[in-house]
Amino acid sequence: MKKFLTILITKLLRFAGKLIGRGSSKPGQVALRLCPDILSRMELPKYIIAVTGSNGKTSTVEMIAHILTKNGLTVAWNKEGSNQIEGVTTLVLGSATLGGKVKADILLIESDERFARYTFKYIRPTHYVITNLYRDQLTRNGHPEWVRDALADSITDGTQLILNADDPLVSAFGQSRDNVIWFGADKLSTDTEDLVSVYNDGAYCPVCKAPMVYSTHHYNHIGHYRCTACGYHRHDTQYTITSVDMDKGEMTIDGTHTITLALKSLYNIYNILSAYTVASIVGIDGAKIAADMNRYVLKNGRVITFSLGSRRGTMLTSKHENSISYDQSIRVAAAYKEGCDVLIIVDAVSRKYFTSDVSWLYDIDFEMLGSDNIHQIVLAGKYVNDLAVRFSYTDIPNEKIRLFESIDEAADYLNSDRSEYIYVITCFSDKGKFLVKVKED
Amino acid sequence: MKILHYYHDLMNLYGDYANVSAMRRILEKSGESVTVDRRSLGEDVDFSEYDFLYIGSGTEQNQRVALADLHRHADALRQYIADGRLALMTGNSFEMLGRTITDAAGTTYEGLGVFDFTVTEQNKTRVTADVIYTCDFLAEPLVGFVNKCSEIKGTNPTLFTVKMGLGNFDGDKREGVRVRSCYGTHLTGPVLIKNPHFLAFLAKKLLGREPETGYLTYEKAGYAVTLSELSRRADAE
Repeated sequence: MKKFLTILITKLLRFAGKLIGRGSSKPGQVALRLCPDILSRMELPKYIIAVTGSNGKTSTVEMIAHILTKNGLTVAWNKEGSNQIEGVTTLVLGSATLGGKVKADILLIESDERFARYTFKYIRPTHYVITNLYRDQLTRNGHPEWVRDALADSITDGTQLILNADDPLVSAFGQSRDNVIWFGADKLSTDTEDLVSVYNDGAYCPVCKAPMVYSTHHYNHIGHYRCTACGYHRHDTQYTITSVDMDKGEMTIDGTHTITLALKSLYNIYNILSAYTVASIVGIDGAKIAADMNRYVLKNGRVITFSLGSRRGTMLTSKHENSISYDQSIRVAAAYKEGCDVLIIVDAVSRKYFTSDVSWLYDIDFEMLGSDNIHQIVLAGKYVNDLAVRFSYTDIPNEKIRLFESIDEAADYLNSDRSEYIYVITCFSDKGKFLVKVKED
Repeated sequence: MKILHYYHDLMNLYGDYANVSAMRRILEKSGESVTVDRRSLGEDVDFSEYDFLYIGSGTEQNQRVALADLHRHADALRQYIADGRLALMTGNSFEMLGRTITDAAGTTYEGLGVFDFTVTEQNKTRVTADVIYTCDFLAEPLVGFVNKCSEIKGTNPTLFTVKMGLGNFDGDKREGVRVRSCYGTHLTGPVLIKNPHFLAFLAKKLLGREPETGYLTYEKAGYAVTLSELSRRADAE
């Protein structure tokens, strides 16, 4: 009876919440107060697929849901991205009958990496994808090893781990487990022999802390590594990006399936590979997955194309306090051969909590914006002075840089008769302040 | 002038390296020629060669690796500090200068014993905060961020007074340590860029004269914005 009532109330709250445009955490929060172990009382589908990691989880989950749905499976997933236990509870109860049976072939859960241990105390994933562990929101996350330790508590025996072999910290979860599925990239044409990054989180082995060596870097510390002391090394992969052609915007998986990319970023290819891996495990044919991922445009608002007067541009939503997210966006702009202007906005460091910390700017490889095809760099927002100081520690000449405290004025400045494409790099917390000035596609 | 950036790849978690960039720049702008040596695990270091020593913050695991390595230099480092040479250690790096560090599992590691304090870590809650500190040697307060999992007891003398944020342990209104020209604080990241007046103070100690500070326009403006944001926050709390 308690279970029935909890589910009913959650559904009603969810319905009401949707009407007034509220988020999806609250109903789950109420449900957990009414019945703390409600999640363990539910009848769950055969497949419970969880995705976690610092970056790419929302996009990966969206892609998995897209492929599975396209292939006739019903998927219950947290579309709104509420990824702590409350949001997951709303998802599970909202997708269930009043008797407590989840009406879907697959339960697909995006999970916050620090709080996964609470959620998965009640729901044990059958499959658990870990995408990467980066320096991400360190003002509340501490550091990547701190997050690793929190995440380790969420992994139980009997769960099929699906790990990014190219991330040394993530791969370490596969130590002393024999049933791991690995995905990753072969040496790619976009790789570098030397590290391209301000810092090196792959300098030391995550297992024994002796120095590591890389035979190739895909980006930052993601690549093919080997510890010089304990032998810990990048694992062979079952699902593999065998080549990429960033000029043509194509990636090939397992040497056979070529996918045309809607967004030419290395991030995007990893997200596609994770989605491919999961869909393959569920039993979808590789050719079908590749067709579903071909030119796939994410619907989660991370990439927005727009017009500003006569000019065209793309906003690459990046995460403040996450240098690799910024590095990826900067790479996309730096690879735009026809020439472009770049706008970077830091106005509120976070939308969810207060902090005024700008240390993370020093972990971003802004030097990459020094390439000749980047014509103008516009810096804007409340923290424009800090951006200006950060850029003073690059070799980029002052003449290329314009500063505006006001985002409005920065947008007005860019609304000129220049013909260059515009890339806007900023965070969820600040993107709306620019988007009001443009016409979105 | 010679700067030693020690454990540059191991203890560099929050853009800490930029403190060295900032010190190099102010010294160069003040007319000095500057060499920066980046050294790490197992490498030979002769402290007596250097005018300024910097170590940044690391993960708990990395700090232990650095500490194990640093023990071979314990006497040389103590001598460096006793001689009144300039050292800045930010984040958990200064914890290595105490008597002991006890981790969350209860294992105790010997520190270098420059100071008498003891450090105790836990692994449940990350303790973080935006902070405002004051001290008797700077007219303006310091701004910054603390990101740690430890409590530090028995610090004397301390470096800063807490106006907002975290001290050496829960409820403590004092932060960091200081002896002679050795400064230790749990402030993380580019402390000397966020606080141009602190940079100028340390540079003056090195130079024995007023450093060039005219170029620090954006640094000063950035500091003012952060101080005003944090003060507003402090008032609201």
